[in-house]
Amino acid sequence: MSTSGRVVLGAVTDAPAEHGTLRSARGLALRGIRNVRRLPSAFFPALAMPIFNMIAFSGTFYAVTRLPGFPTDRSINWYMPLGILMGSAFGGVGLGFSTIRDLESGFYDRLRMAPTSRTSLILGPLMSTWVRVLIMNLLVTALGVALGVRYTAGVWGVLALLAASLGLATVAAGWGLALAYRFRDMRGAAIMQLSVFVVMFLSTAQVPLDVMQGWLHAVARVNPATNILRLARGGLVDRADPDHLSWATAWGGLVALAVMAALTLGFAARSLQRLDD
Amino acid sequence: MRATHVVALARRSTMAIARQPALVGPSIVFPLFFAALSNSSFSRATALPGFPKVASFLQFGLAGTITQGVLFGSVTGAAALATDIQDGFFDRLLASPTSRTGILFGRLAGGALFGAVQAAVFVAVLWPFGAEVRAGLAGFAVLVLAGLLTAYAVGALMSSVALRTGSAEAVQGAFPLLFILLFLSSAFFPRETMSGVYRTIADWNPISHMVEGQRALTVTGWSASAAARALLVPAGLGVLGTALALATLRRRLAAS
Repeated sequence: MSTSGRVVLGAVTDAPAEHGTLRSARGLALRGIRNVRRLPSAFFPALAMPIFNMIAFSGTFYAVTRLPGFPTDRSINWYMPLGILMGSAFGGVGLGFSTIRDLESGFYDRLRMAPTSRTSLILGPLMSTWVRVLIMNLLVTALGVALGVRYTAGVWGVLALLAASLGLATVAAGWGLALAYRFRDMRGAAIMQLSVFVVMFLSTAQVPLDVMQGWLHAVARVNPATNILRLARGGLVDRADPDHLSWATAWGGLVALAVMAALTLGFAARSLQRLDD
Repeated sequence: MRATHVVALARRSTMAIARQPALVGPSIVFPLFFAALSNSSFSRATALPGFPKVASFLQFGLAGTITQGVLFGSVTGAAALATDIQDGFFDRLLASPTSRTGILFGRLAGGALFGAVQAAVFVAVLWPFGAEVRAGLAGFAVLVLAGLLTAYAVGALMSSVALRTGSAEAVQGAFPLLFILLFLSSAFFPRETMSGVYRTIADWNPISHMVEGQRALTVTGWSASAAARALLVPAGLGVLGTALALATLRRRLAAS
């Protein structure tokens, strides 16, 4: 067993009952964070993808900002939040991939045998996902600002994007964990990626609702990912735009994140329980 | 190189593709999904200055859909070659009295044929929704041939990775480079609407010229220069890829 594995199991088994859940969760979170340094090849795609998304979309679709009704004249203002949210979602389901690896290698069975609450098995890895997503946010935002991103709602815009990013990572992590517990092998990984991809793109990922036409408009209007993208972009669209950051434009995204996180984390907890049965 | 060996190995690789629909299905379904998505997202963009006169965004995007799908699909053949190396089948072929280059060309033939099928499927599915090929049957034939040549060229380039590393994961890992090359071209939007460094990269990217040849046949009608661009660019890449793959194969044979 690796050193980090022994440390994690040590944290899990030595935990006093009253603080057991948090201590175990912290041990598992540290294991996940250490893997960023030990396995940079696993973290690199989660960082490269949002950067590529941001640059490729804002370069290729640069001209769409000239369409009447487009909420900003800077394509990078529109596509940086998309890149960050895609990175957050894939960072979240990435937790499912690593859990599948632990299930296949037998490490997860040892974790489940340890005398700790099941909550820590979800909370710990989730905390490490938040840290990874936070690092990704910092790096992508810094690059975005260097390439021309301009916030239009000050620090609230930064916080809104961060909230959307961390919230979506939580939703995706719950979904990834649930599928990992259900499938226990890499079949689940394909469903995780595909579902995130489809949900994200059947929204205002590429253009705002007013610009799109046909079937996509009808789908995107009811897709909760549209509300999350509105929250993320609120601090980056023009001040005069109706979607500029305000409580009226932000609450939909916050509610969508809260409901979806509750559903996916609940699904993960139930699936973990089924794994034990 | 004996033709019978190439035909037998080509048949094997083609059958392998046909028998694994789950492996190749996404390279047909995903480009169609993106074509439908882009048609809804960007249909109003066709009125922007710099956009060619098109019947629909779907018609404009057909060439990009073909190229995207063929790029996705052609990695499968190279990954299968790497799997042959990993599981020892490649060594067994070397131990048999089979032409060495036949092993490579047999594998590439299956991928190339699949590329042609993909192009035909994309045109057949999208045409009724507004992606009319104005160059008619001749234009359709060129699009299918361009699909075949592109799949061959990319398959050859990726095969050199497979032969060098002997790892299917390394081949899949090299795939994002193709994706980046595709995005840094005019596959999804006209070069005339781009600006700055991005425009310069798209100007130099051979995929831009290949796609624009196919696009001219789709939106404008038949022209020899458009057909030449659609075919000569992938043919040139195919020659380059073949030279690279053969050189890598020679190195692997010398080392074994």
